[in-house]
Amino acid sequence: MMPKYIQQVQVTCYNELEVMIHPDGVVPVLTFLRDHTNAQFRNMIDLTAVDVPSRQNRFEIVYNLLSLRYNSRIRVKTYTDELTPVDSSVSVHKAANWYEREVSHRGFANAGARRRVGTDWVCVWKQVWDMYGVFFANHPDLRRILTDYGFEGHPFRKDFPLSGYVEVRYDDELKRVVAEPVELAQEFRKFDLNTPWEVFPAYREPKEAPPKLEAPAPEKK
Amino acid sequence: TTGLVGLAVSQNPHERLRILYAKILASLQTMPQDAAYRKYTEQLVNERFDHVKTEPDVVKLEQKINGGQIEEVIFQAECELSLSRKMADWKPWEPLVEEAPPNQWKWPI
Repeated sequence: MMPKYIQQVQVTCYNELEVMIHPDGVVPVLTFLRDHTNAQFRNMIDLTAVDVPSRQNRFEIVYNLLSLRYNSRIRVKTYTDELTPVDSSVSVHKAANWYEREVSHRGFANAGARRRVGTDWVCVWKQVWDMYGVFFANHPDLRRILTDYGFEGHPFRKDFPLSGYVEVRYDDELKRVVAEPVELAQEFRKFDLNTPWEVFPAYREPKEAPPKLEAPAPEKK
Repeated sequence: TTGLVGLAVSQNPHERLRILYAKILASLQTMPQDAAYRKYTEQLVNERFDHVKTEPDVVKLEQKINGGQIEEVIFQAECELSLSRKMADWKPWEPLVEEAPPNQWKWPI
């Protein structure tokens, strides 16, 4: 309603209010929600991200806010791709600090599963920088938070395999832990769990009308 | 004594609220008349301002405004003031900055 230059879509999914924003508008919208009298969303509950590899802007950053005065929750969603930085929301909510560190490194392997089953996010701690590689501009302290010290890669992206690349570490004659490429005892089996029946009948794409073929006009002799 | 940690009891809350609401209204004047933010905030602030002007008793004022204790109302007014100043910079009433790329918000994919 109010920050008109920011909203794209407002969708309520099973009585939850979600607000989709352009990534430039993160800080204005969050300060508005925090400061305005009719929307005192002082608490940031969660800051997470979703990886949808097929989209142009791959990552969807999600802020969950709670208003104690009015007992209501709101979700704010932004999008970004791998290289564009997003403004950090730490100036608005101090709680976002560790969440952003996690998102920039970590991520969600099960974001797709989350939507299907309807359960909540898998990891609710410091995320996003560590696991995804989303870069937050103006963040006071963007270090890795959940991954190991020399860890390369972003585990929660969808293209990162479940077992990882360089995960097998064991003590050597060098008397220390060594990183070796992964050796799996069994070959990775990918099960195709898709049902042959339609999963979401309500979200069917509208069928295109078949092109009308006109009978060729009779040739005049 | 407020029941809240960190919020001291304010002597003379009417005066403080009056000053704050006057400042908010002044900063709202810088925005265009048709901005939705300006309309609704002016409505809110004027309503509370009227309550403050007419009601000299603090407890009854709290009940009329219905926004928690007076110190909380003062804190909220300070937030609103900083917000209105920032809004004057950000200008949220302009039309959309950029449309989302197609299929951005489509779910299920």
